[in-house]
Amino acid sequence: MSLPSDVRQTPGTPDAAPPVGLSVVVPVTERPVDLAAIWAEYSAPLRELGLPFEFIFMVEPEFRHLAERLATTVRGEPGVRILVAGQVVGESELVKLALEQCRGDTVLLLPAYHRVEADAIPRLIQRLGDGVDMVVARRWPRRDSWINRVQHRALHALVTPLAGGRVHDVGCGMQVIRRDVLADVPLYGDLYRFLPLIVHREGFRVVEEDAPQHRADGHTRVYGPGIYLRRLIDLLGLYFLLRFTDKPLRFFGLAGSLVSLAGAAVLAVLFLQRVAGQGIADRPLLVLGVMLVVLGVQAIALGLVGEIIVHMGAAGRRPYRLARATSVPPAEPFPALNDGVYPDERESAGEGAEADGAVLKPVQAGAYGRERS
Amino acid sequence: MRAQPFRVETMRSQPDNPRLSVVVPVFNEEENVPWLAAAVSTALRELEGGWELLLVDDGSTDRTAEVGEQLSRADGRIRVVRLARNFGQTAAMQAGFDHSRGSVVVSMDGDLQNDPGDIPRLLQRIESGYDLVVGYRVRRKDTLLTRKIPSWVANRMIQGLTGIPIRDNGCSLKAYRRELLDRMFLYAEFHRFIPAMAAASAGARIVEIPVRHHARRFGTSKYGLSRFFKVLADMVAVVAIRSFRKRPLSLFGLASAASALLGLAFGVAAVISYLVFQPDKANALVLPTTLLLSLGLSGYLLMLGLIAEVAVRVHERRGRLHALPIVCEVRP
Repeated sequence: MSLPSDVRQTPGTPDAAPPVGLSVVVPVTERPVDLAAIWAEYSAPLRELGLPFEFIFMVEPEFRHLAERLATTVRGEPGVRILVAGQVVGESELVKLALEQCRGDTVLLLPAYHRVEADAIPRLIQRLGDGVDMVVARRWPRRDSWINRVQHRALHALVTPLAGGRVHDVGCGMQVIRRDVLADVPLYGDLYRFLPLIVHREGFRVVEEDAPQHRADGHTRVYGPGIYLRRLIDLLGLYFLLRFTDKPLRFFGLAGSLVSLAGAAVLAVLFLQRVAGQGIADRPLLVLGVMLVVLGVQAIALGLVGEIIVHMGAAGRRPYRLARATSVPPAEPFPALNDGVYPDERESAGEGAEADGAVLKPVQAGAYGRERS
Repeated sequence: MRAQPFRVETMRSQPDNPRLSVVVPVFNEEENVPWLAAAVSTALRELEGGWELLLVDDGSTDRTAEVGEQLSRADGRIRVVRLARNFGQTAAMQAGFDHSRGSVVVSMDGDLQNDPGDIPRLLQRIESGYDLVVGYRVRRKDTLLTRKIPSWVANRMIQGLTGIPIRDNGCSLKAYRRELLDRMFLYAEFHRFIPAMAAASAGARIVEIPVRHHARRFGTSKYGLSRFFKVLADMVAVVAIRSFRKRPLSLFGLASAASALLGLAFGVAAVISYLVFQPDKANALVLPTTLLLSLGLSGYLLMLGLIAEVAVRVHERRGRLHALPIVCEVRP
């Protein structure tokens, strides 16, 4: 049994296959269990639902053996595709790769391990639509060990304030989402873990739906310290992304001005002592004061560079999203200017309010360049 | 004939586009919206060239959008732009600008504190050659302590930092020439600094005129002056953006020179203290260390300035940076 190592070389064009309404995407990247068991367990309720579906297993190369085992099990089964990524890419990229292959309008994101009982899945899928763009399973009631519960609480103590209290189980990973929505949100690095928050930030409607926790999910999980450190860094990144993407100076400026002010206070004390006649050339405190000011100025300067980068990217990027459901068709958008050809000949023009007196009219089309009408 | 330089121009030449668009962001204003539509309609009754009213529903949780759509069905000049959720006033205004079709656009508050009767005067100033007309509220009907005083302080600071003599940045009643909106993109919370952004993005000709101001009739105030620090940070950002867009290196270059001068001062102090006081070895490190820190900062700032220069140049080359001012032709 040989498997293609690159999805783009995948044989068997999907065009020939029957249409599907639901694509089930299983990114296989960490602590996967027997994939055939996942497939058997979660495909059963989908069959009862009557919605034509496909399974896409997108597997990291290190778990290729699992993919091969699964391929032998499901041999001859239509609607199961097993794809192995060419290199280790992480969960976000696995999902993006799988998305290229999806044919259903609805995507069910399924972790490669047991999270919730399979009977809950039809309810999750039916909740989609009617203005709901994404349904997130919340493991409830829970069957967790107490160590898992403590970890869960600690994570959500940090995440919930970020999300404005709207999220109760960010780590579940079992989600139903419209395919066009998933294709529309920025997804990279470790952001997949916080997909519901990202989708909400982009202006889509996300709801939670209770689903009983799977009996196999309750066993105690303890990770190495590296994992917890990475989660903390992820959270910091998420915090910045959700709060300060458009206004980096608010973040760097606050940090920088606090540090600078501390330094300035130190220097002020030294200055007063100098005025009082005490020498400062032999005071290490002077080094501390100057160092704090330098650090603060550096942070603020970084924030300013961030601002100019954000500002440059703002041209034509719409900082909002229109509502989908509306009884009156939305007004025609004005075409954005930024696709236009930039004139290469420049004209001098007055700046400032010197318009009084003569009647000024805006120059008509074409006059920005070489010709005048 | 050469192709039209901007796609927008062909759009504007369509004859059914109105002369004036009024953009009003509304957030939970169901009681105010009918009054607003009636007031705008009355004020613009005699306007030639047609007008449209765009109600931008900023994710209201009450029936604002439904009320607006009802009005829209009754009067085709009223249009509703619904946002998917609450994105804030800046994004709502930008949404209105993007969907407006008039060659002049007027923005105002949805709470009836601005008087639509002032719109023709704003329009007239645009057509006499200004790119941005800013209203300032005379006899403001707001509470002194929570609104007027913070706003006075903020306006003085914005004036001082940007050098643009605008008395009232917080007044939403403004008029924009379409060419300005083609160049100016609002994001984050920059609706507070529209004159500065207009000057930065398009070198706009700006004029300020007095407008009327009424007390709120329904509901409570939604967009109060936010926390001092946020406004201050945004203010500094606007000033920096304006400077960067012209000469990216100059701001950091100046800061770098100042830091180098400081380092020089520390160096002189080090030499003097060595010559005069002959301090013992341990303490002799203090002044040279401060010298090195300052010079390090100087170099660091210069390098950041170069990065900013790269960022601006990259965008300019892609043609996405419309740093050129609006050009007007003088006709007899």
